[in-house]
Amino acid sequence: MATKAYDKSFREEVYQNVDSGEDVKLCMQCGVCGITCPLRGEMTHGPRQLWSLIRAGKRDEVMNSPDIMLCTSCYSCKVRCPRGVKVIDVMHGLAHYALEQGIVPRKETSKFGKAFWDSIYKTGRVDETEVPMRYTLMAGPIHGIFNMLEMMDIGRALLAHKRMKFKIGPGLPPSKKIKGMKGLKKMLDKAKAMSPGKEG
Amino acid sequence: MGQSILVVGGGMSGVSAALEAAEAGYDVVLVEKNPYLGGRVAQLHQYFPKLCPPYCGLEINFKRIKSNPRIKLYTMSEVTGIEGEPGNYKVTINQMPRYVNERCTVCGKCGEAVEATIPNAFDYGLGEIKAAYLPHELAYPYRYVIDPSIVETEDGAKAKEACPYDAVVLDDAPKETIEEAGAIVWAAGWSPYDASKVEYYNFNSSPDIITNVQMERLAAAGGPTGGKIVKLSNGEAPKKVAFIQCAGSRDVNHLPFCSTICCLASLKQATYVREQLKDAEVTIYFIDIRAMDRNEDFYTKVKADEKISFVKSKIGLIEPGENGMLVLEGENTTTGERFKAEHDLVVLATGMQPNTDLSKIPADMVYDEYGFVQNAEGIFGAGTVRRPGEVHVSVQDGTSAALKAIQVVAGR
Repeated sequence: MATKAYDKSFREEVYQNVDSGEDVKLCMQCGVCGITCPLRGEMTHGPRQLWSLIRAGKRDEVMNSPDIMLCTSCYSCKVRCPRGVKVIDVMHGLAHYALEQGIVPRKETSKFGKAFWDSIYKTGRVDETEVPMRYTLMAGPIHGIFNMLEMMDIGRALLAHKRMKFKIGPGLPPSKKIKGMKGLKKMLDKAKAMSPGKEG
Repeated sequence: MGQSILVVGGGMSGVSAALEAAEAGYDVVLVEKNPYLGGRVAQLHQYFPKLCPPYCGLEINFKRIKSNPRIKLYTMSEVTGIEGEPGNYKVTINQMPRYVNERCTVCGKCGEAVEATIPNAFDYGLGEIKAAYLPHELAYPYRYVIDPSIVETEDGAKAKEACPYDAVVLDDAPKETIEEAGAIVWAAGWSPYDASKVEYYNFNSSPDIITNVQMERLAAAGGPTGGKIVKLSNGEAPKKVAFIQCAGSRDVNHLPFCSTICCLASLKQATYVREQLKDAEVTIYFIDIRAMDRNEDFYTKVKADEKISFVKSKIGLIEPGENGMLVLEGENTTTGERFKAEHDLVVLATGMQPNTDLSKIPADMVYDEYGFVQNAEGIFGAGTVRRPGEVHVSVQDGTSAALKAIQVVAGR
């Protein structure tokens, strides 16, 4: 029978470069994480399969899996994992590592991350109007406007409940900065320098 | 002969230890918490892999106890204090009142007379029994028990009046006794892990989700259904039975260890279902099937039944579905598919929690991280307080503990 050896290099790469990457070794392939995930309908692989692919050396499949950026950090899987694998940490670790390697596993998440980061970096707060506006416009002006129209009902409701301020466009009017923006920027710069991944 | 050996727990390990020591010529004090001997083995329908009833062996042991004057038996009793050192222990025994003396002939008149019922502990809470009861058909000692809840009620008086032998003693009271012993064997056994703690199995949401120990009672002739395997929701025969392995086992949030017996127990229970219900389908959901040594043959045999299928998946969710069905969700780790499967009876294969994890020995002992006890100089663990295991291992362990205890008391 012909056999094919697993490529061990990728798993070593994960153990060494990904946050909590060595936790993958703990997995006993029971499958509870994939079923616990509230986004299980959206996930292509789910954590268990990703761990299995890491062990099997499937670098491209893992690094391009949208799942690693789909994780919303609800922590259900981590709470239930019978082996105590830090599932969320590894998922985010993989996403960071992929970005660092110039791979964007899920464009939407990456864009949203950028809009989120920009808002904090510029004003010190997450502006509930600014962030979604910038995010939707990243798809291009035409697509952006269509996307925004799709969200109109939600926007109206948010306005009615004073959960969102009215803006004509991004930065119109500009969001208010927090006090001590200088200090926050310093902290963010330092955090960014320490973090293995880039924003997003 | 000088000092006696005190054995705590009248299950398989404790009975074995007591008999081996007594038959070697030593005096033994045997202390049991229940009103009867035999422990969890007495509640089993059949043993694996031979599928024979445990009562053959138990009855032989009871006969040996009965005919051995060296064994002093305390039932309904717990050890609450141990003082002294190897060769010289003073053990405090707390005995709860049975309210029935040795004149009882098991005529059953007191049970007929009382009206109050209590949950049937012997059947793991499936069904109720009268508050004046024989714990089970083959109980040893063969004697009724009156539940303390009715003693001061009209029912208590009725029981006393109904008894033709003057065996009901309503003013019976707890007794504290101190026994001297040179060595102690602690064989307090195990408890089924509480299934409701595995919250995603929604154990309390449906009577059709039961545990493996309850399944034993469903299949046993003396059980709540007279041995018929039925759905407790409506009394009908199940058509699609699921067994969920490692329900709260091999899990850092619950019991982190493998209890070693649940795979075999489910394989065995699958044969109960298939023997009674010719059309029923059985699915066993597992992480790994752990059937060691001779038990592997049993696994092979069960696997050959085409109505029993095996799915490699730890079930992640049980929810009520339509028409009284239960929907199980899991990820088949062989094919990679996430699935939903409907079943009408679900058996959770819960593991063995050592009773030393739930209640410690009243002496300076060392336990491992799971609550299993390690041997001390004069106090020896036996059976499932030392490690999880099957019945024959408990018997061997009881014998081994008896020998260690004898070595302490011999020649003193």
